[in-house]
Amino acid sequence: MSKTPLIQIRNLHANAGETPILRGLTLELFPGEVHAIMGPNGSGKSTLSNVLVGRPGYEVTGGEVLFRGKNLLEMDAETRAREGIFLAFQYPVEIPGVANNYFLRTAVNAIRSHRGQPRLDAIDFLTLLREKMKLVEMPEEMMARAINEGFSGGEKKRNEILQMLLLDPSFCILDETDSGLDIDALRIVSNGVNQMRSPDRAMLVITHYQRLLDYIVPDRVHVLSKGRIARSGGKELALELEEKGYGWIEDEAGGAS
Amino acid sequence: MSTAIDSLVRLRERFAKDGPGWLVAKRDEALAAFLEAGLPTRRLEAWKSTNLAPLAALEFARIAPTGVATIDAKLAASLPAGVRVRSLAEVLRTEPDRLAGRLGRLADPKKSALVALQTACLEDGVVVELDAGVCLAEPIRIRFHSSPDVYDRPSAAFPRLLVVAGEGSEATIFEDFDSAGAARRAAPGFTNHVAELLLASGARIELVQVQAEPAPRVHFTSVHAEVERGAHFASHVVTLGSGLLRSELDVRLLAAGAETVMNGFFLGQDAAHVDHFTTVDHAAAHCTSAQEYRGVLADRSKGVFRGRVIVRPGAQKTDARQSNPNLLLSDEAAIDTRPQLEIYADDVRASHGSTIGQLDADALFFLRARGIGESEARVLLTRAFAQTIVDAIRDPELRGEIGARVERALAGLESVSADRSGAGGAAPAPEKGGRR
Ligand SMILES: Nc1ncnc2c1ncn2[C@@H]1O[C@H](COP(=O)(O)OP(=O)(O)OP(=O)(O)O)[C@@H](O)[C@H]1O
Ligand SMILES: [Mg+2]
Repeated sequence: MSKTPLIQIRNLHANAGETPILRGLTLELFPGEVHAIMGPNGSGKSTLSNVLVGRPGYEVTGGEVLFRGKNLLEMDAETRAREGIFLAFQYPVEIPGVANNYFLRTAVNAIRSHRGQPRLDAIDFLTLLREKMKLVEMPEEMMARAINEGFSGGEKKRNEILQMLLLDPSFCILDETDSGLDIDALRIVSNGVNQMRSPDRAMLVITHYQRLLDYIVPDRVHVLSKGRIARSGGKELALELEEKGYGWIEDEAGGAS
Repeated sequence: MSTAIDSLVRLRERFAKDGPGWLVAKRDEALAAFLEAGLPTRRLEAWKSTNLAPLAALEFARIAPTGVATIDAKLAASLPAGVRVRSLAEVLRTEPDRLAGRLGRLADPKKSALVALQTACLEDGVVVELDAGVCLAEPIRIRFHSSPDVYDRPSAAFPRLLVVAGEGSEATIFEDFDSAGAARRAAPGFTNHVAELLLASGARIELVQVQAEPAPRVHFTSVHAEVERGAHFASHVVTLGSGLLRSELDVRLLAAGAETVMNGFFLGQDAAHVDHFTTVDHAAAHCTSAQEYRGVLADRSKGVFRGRVIVRPGAQKTDARQSNPNLLLSDEAAIDTRPQLEIYADDVRASHGSTIGQLDADALFFLRARGIGESEARVLLTRAFAQTIVDAIRDPELRGEIGARVERALAGLESVSADRSGAGGAAPAPEKGGRR
């Protein structure tokens, strides 16, 4: 395993709109690692995800983020994606009028061009698409439909995983991808994620449920509370949280600040 | 009188006395009506938002002679029995009385000065006749080109379309207005097109029009359809030009079960002025109209949409829907959108809505977060906005072709790709029934 971290988040402070949400968050992931982030509603998990992918409406007020040693916060959203950052959104948007397959090919080719790889023509892309769709058990007819339009909650999440598989990112953030999934979909999504685990890729898995971590076994578990990491541990921390809730950590964190 | 009128009145003398007596009389009556009314001015309610002064100032050097329309030769050669697609001039020559009582039945010179002018200058066009029960799978393609490259002095063209659809017949007609000389500097000119469609019971006719004549040509189209019992008329108007355009659509639903779909996509670019004026007349009970015009206004362009919906007394169980969403891509672009409901029956379902907005900020961000560059993402979303209109075209080949033209036109816009909302990406601000 490489000795340099893939991503380093140092003392990050950020506002959502005008409101300070992240208050000195520090986190490092090395290639090959999978970390889980848990934490109460409103603690800033989605804010962290959105800040990392450069969503408008969030303002970084302090700290830094290095991705492969480069200043991530200076890059616009598309550059971050092309450099290998991917967020599976907690609430995927519906885009009427843009066909899924057309969108996916455009995205794949934008990223391939950035990496100096040749663009895929319609046929090569279809081959790749079919292979990845099998992994997430999505029927082919969904590809001709508009992005997420009329998709069920679970189908939207599977579509996010499909995008992740196609875009081949090196740092993946999954924001509650397990929420609202039935047992089968949870297995499908977890398989997709496990498929992506590799020595040169890192993943940040945001979840409220220990159950997901039975499928995707994390190297580290962090608890986010009030905009910073209040506690970190191994996968057994998730079990402890399941049992005791967040109260005891928030008390400790509150006492420390 | 204006320069334009003087020159056109003089030029029409070349052919005004040609053809059967009924037509000569029609031309003369129309000329009288036109001279009495003059070119429409903004003092008229229906022309409040559109100024024809640039047209009035033109001194025309010619009226485009016969042969303004090309009918797809391949199709013409392989038409099934019961379908006739011919030039108007040919029909007038070979069967002088065939069109008497049909040509000009719907397009009334007394109601519109520009229709009167068209009729006064009427020389040629296309006649489509479908016998009862015939179905034509392939679209009938008609290309009207203004070929301004040959003459750099203003020319006018007055092409006409007449469609007579027998009971239960089916066809798609594609009228393509573009400029053959688009690559060169286009000369100023005037296209004045009138189309009349007579749909007998149970007929299904789809009329697809692309209006892509570049500035400085002035374009006027006036479509009139009469829809009998159980017949279905679909109109798809795609406007991509950069000049002054007025497109009128007038549909009359005459008997129970008559239906119409009125779809439009208009793109305003540069200093274009695109004015769409629709009227649907529910003259009988149990008829349906569904109308959706979508506008994208870029640069300094101005859009106008007026949608009149008339529900006559006794036209119960009418279902009339109208919507006009618009995207403004530049601060200097504007849209004036006004529905006009005139409902005289009480058991009616009628809805209308217009919105004015910008691209959806969340959708734009989502595409960028997947690696798609901002300008490409904007083109994609703008295209998506147009897509529902293109998707409604029934013939797949035509749908693909027009979709590609819309996409090319959008990709060519600078203001589509330019970010004007700032990094935060202002949320779209829909405005119910608003104007700007
Ligand atoms: N644009 C905004 N303006 C003001 N406050 C915001 C904005 N966006 C988010 N917030 C607030 O920031 C806080 C953190 O939100 P965030 O979505 O990051 O929480 P979360 O940890 O992901 O919660 P959940 O578990 O419910 O998904 C919340 O209190 C939320 O209301
Ligand atoms: Mg969240």
